Amino acid sequence: MNNLMMKIAGTALVAIGMSSVCLAAAPEIDPASGANALALLTGALLIIRGRRRK
Amino acid sequence: LRDISEGLRLPSRLAILGGLFVVELLLISLWLDAAMLHGRGVVAGMVSDWGAWLVRLGVAIVLGSLIFAESRASSDLRRISQGCTEYGVRWPLVAAHAAGMILFLWLSSILFREHGAIILANCLVFVWGASGVAALALAAIAILPVPVWMDIFRSTGDAWIYGIGGGIVAMTLGALAQRLWEPLSHWTLSLVAMMMRPFVAELMVDPSTMMIGTPKFHEWIAPQCSGYEGMGLILAFSSAWLWFFRRQWRFPQALLLIPAGVGIIFIANAVRIAALLLIGNAGAPGIAEGGFHSQAGWMAFNGVAIGICMLARKMPALVHQEGVVETVNPTVPYLLPFLAILGAAMLSRMMSADFEWLYGIRIVAAAGALWYFRRVYRGLDFRFDWLGVTAGAVVFAVWIALEPAGHAAAPVALMQAAPMARISWIILRIVGAVAMVPVAEELAFRGFLLRRLEASDFESVPWTTFAWAPFLISSAAFGIMHGERWLAGTIAGALFALVQIRPRGRIGDAIAAHAVANVLVAASVLIGGNWQLW
Repeated sequence: MNNLMMKIAGTALVAIGMSSVCLAAAPEIDPASGANALALLTGALLIIRGRRRK
Repeated sequence: LRDISEGLRLPSRLAILGGLFVVELLLISLWLDAAMLHGRGVVAGMVSDWGAWLVRLGVAIVLGSLIFAESRASSDLRRISQGCTEYGVRWPLVAAHAAGMILFLWLSSILFREHGAIILANCLVFVWGASGVAALALAAIAILPVPVWMDIFRSTGDAWIYGIGGGIVAMTLGALAQRLWEPLSHWTLSLVAMMMRPFVAELMVDPSTMMIGTPKFHEWIAPQCSGYEGMGLILAFSSAWLWFFRRQWRFPQALLLIPAGVGIIFIANAVRIAALLLIGNAGAPGIAEGGFHSQAGWMAFNGVAIGICMLARKMPALVHQEGVVETVNPTVPYLLPFLAILGAAMLSRMMSADFEWLYGIRIVAAAGALWYFRRVYRGLDFRFDWLGVTAGAVVFAVWIALEPAGHAAAPVALMQAAPMARISWIILRIVGAVAMVPVAEELAFRGFLLRRLEASDFESVPWTTFAWAPFLISSAAFGIMHGERWLAGTIAGALFALVQIRPRGRIGDAIAAHAVANVLVAASVLIGGNWQLW
């Protein structure tokens, strides 16, 4: 049951993620600022995931 | 070169191939506009109508197939990945790919001419398409030999069918979702009006024209400003985040993060518009339509994305808890100064109209982070010698040589400012470029990323370790951070990495090189008047 739930959840995630690839660009987010903003996001996520056992 | 490429595993090869295609696609899309083929006959018209759609479908199918393949045949893929190291990249085929791309570009220049014959365009479109596909195929078999591709297809079974099906479904959902633009923009208008009413007495709201604001400052909410793009980004981000770390989440309740994130970003977009209108109404339309408009969307996205990750990890209902475990985070001292500069830069630009007067907050943010972790940095080797200094001069020469033609005068706002304000800003700009940025960026890119790409326990990687994939990826990442100067930035990143690794493994040499390059750039700006460099 747990395995089935994982498969359903995984398939849903893939479908949702893929559908967002297909979205057209809109001007509410400025592409010129994208590199800095994505670097900030990536760095923050690396910090969040960077914690490890002592 | 062949020996170098032989050590590459499957993920590195796919990343190189993907990166090559993305760069080529970006460059081509900047040059060609499929709309130029509109009305040029049936076949060319189909390229105009469906070209961009097909590219997006292709990307969705490839992404979906890779994800399904990885989850269904991970052990086989590990075996194939190990086998890849026996093969070198076939450079004659790389050259053939380059020739194919040149042919594709030459045919594009004929096909996309404004006044070309319609019959010629419709015949040429087949050769044009075939040359593009052939060029892509040549790159694919140059990076990965045909037997490896066949092994991948055999091992991953029906993952590719799932990928194609998923891609088509995703495209259909994407197309259907666009129909939500109109109602979404009306909901956004209502939400913005509700947020503004407590602050504005003379609020004007016209749903028929989608105008909202005050007699002093008002804006039109276009359907595409309804928050749709932020919602798409959060959809992609949260689904990818849940997928990659799926073992730590409790499903199905963790799926609630997706609608929660989408709902929050929709509200955040309305807050952004309301704040923009209030700033404009308060007498700063330049800031509202300038820095705030361009930065607030990203600030909202980053805030929601990071907030979801941080909060969700603390919710036992959503994640499997490990119990009380004492942990350390060695990443923070290396990344935080750089992230502080990025965050402060976004903030200062957001509060600027046509000139970034608040540049100094970048220095305060970086200095604060560096001071906080000063004890950690005592363990690093900040010594440097002539090699680092010389490398900085070389980087400056490369930077100038690759600088696009053109000359920018000093910003009008700076020149018209009072002398004290002007001099203060220039001093802060020099301190930022020469002292803060080199330390923060070298800690992040060479101290952390270069070694993190070698091993997850990056602190155990000796500073003298050289490996091609971390060297190339970290240099390219550094280059991308420099926008249109990406090539000069990549070369600079590579040189900074080399002087750090060889001969002594000292971060001080990389920092010295970076600082010298920035000193020379500052001199070129202030003495030579080359303000485009800043």
